[in-house]
Amino acid sequence: MAMRAAILRHIRLPARAQTLAGPRSREWSLLGSSASRSMSSHGDDHLTKEEVAERVLAVVKSFPKVDPATVSPDVHFQNDLGLDSLDNVEIVMALEEEFKLEIPDLEADKIDSCRLAIEYIYNHPMAG
Amino acid sequence: MAFTLRSVKVPPNSASLEEAKQRVFDFFRAACRSIPTIMDIYNLDDVVNKSDLRSAISAQIRKNSHVTNPKVIDMLLFKGMEELNNVTEHAKQRHHIIGQYVVGRQGLVQDSGTKEKGLSDFLKSFYKSNYF
Repeated sequence: MAMRAAILRHIRLPARAQTLAGPRSREWSLLGSSASRSMSSHGDDHLTKEEVAERVLAVVKSFPKVDPATVSPDVHFQNDLGLDSLDNVEIVMALEEEFKLEIPDLEADKIDSCRLAIEYIYNHPMAG
Repeated sequence: MAFTLRSVKVPPNSASLEEAKQRVFDFFRAACRSIPTIMDIYNLDDVVNKSDLRSAISAQIRKNSHVTNPKVIDMLLFKGMEELNNVTEHAKQRHHIIGQYVVGRQGLVQDSGTKEKGLSDFLKSFYKSNYF
């Protein structure tokens, strides 16, 4: 009994000694600072600019009053596509639905072209 | 309660055409934002898409786009708000929505003569009178 206890104590000591050793703790801290959360998919939430552009163009092309052949990333809704201001608001609402955003009125009034729409949505943190 | 809250939002007079225009756009945005609720309440998912409903609402607004008097625009907006409230608080029924905003945009069947489209000229004149 006493021998068993002594042997166990002897076995336990090396394990503790190893965790206190320098190299092991340094390895952990290195892993902690540089690789951080390599398995986490947190950074994937942001859309890439190509993805945003593609979806924005798809929404504009599927608008019934728009001729899909004339749509390009630089097109202006009222000047190039011949839409009026109400159509502009409607396209912005369609974009809000596509990206699950809620765009405040002041910003929505400024979105006049595909270029601005892509910029705004790309910079919006909640775009999904 | 929801009705009174929303109708209070439209103050009595717009100062200018520009302000009335802004109010129209605000109303349109409010209507578009309530489209998912409407589709859920009336089970419209298999009948129409959201974009078709949006187009229907904008067509209704565009019907009155020739108006220039801000007071008339305010009155039309008030009626629009009332309609929107009725729809969202389920005071209307599914056949109202379908008749007015989904199918009804193409006009009444009896007016557009869709029944007569497949007929030959002979039959059309036959149905009209005995002598042709």
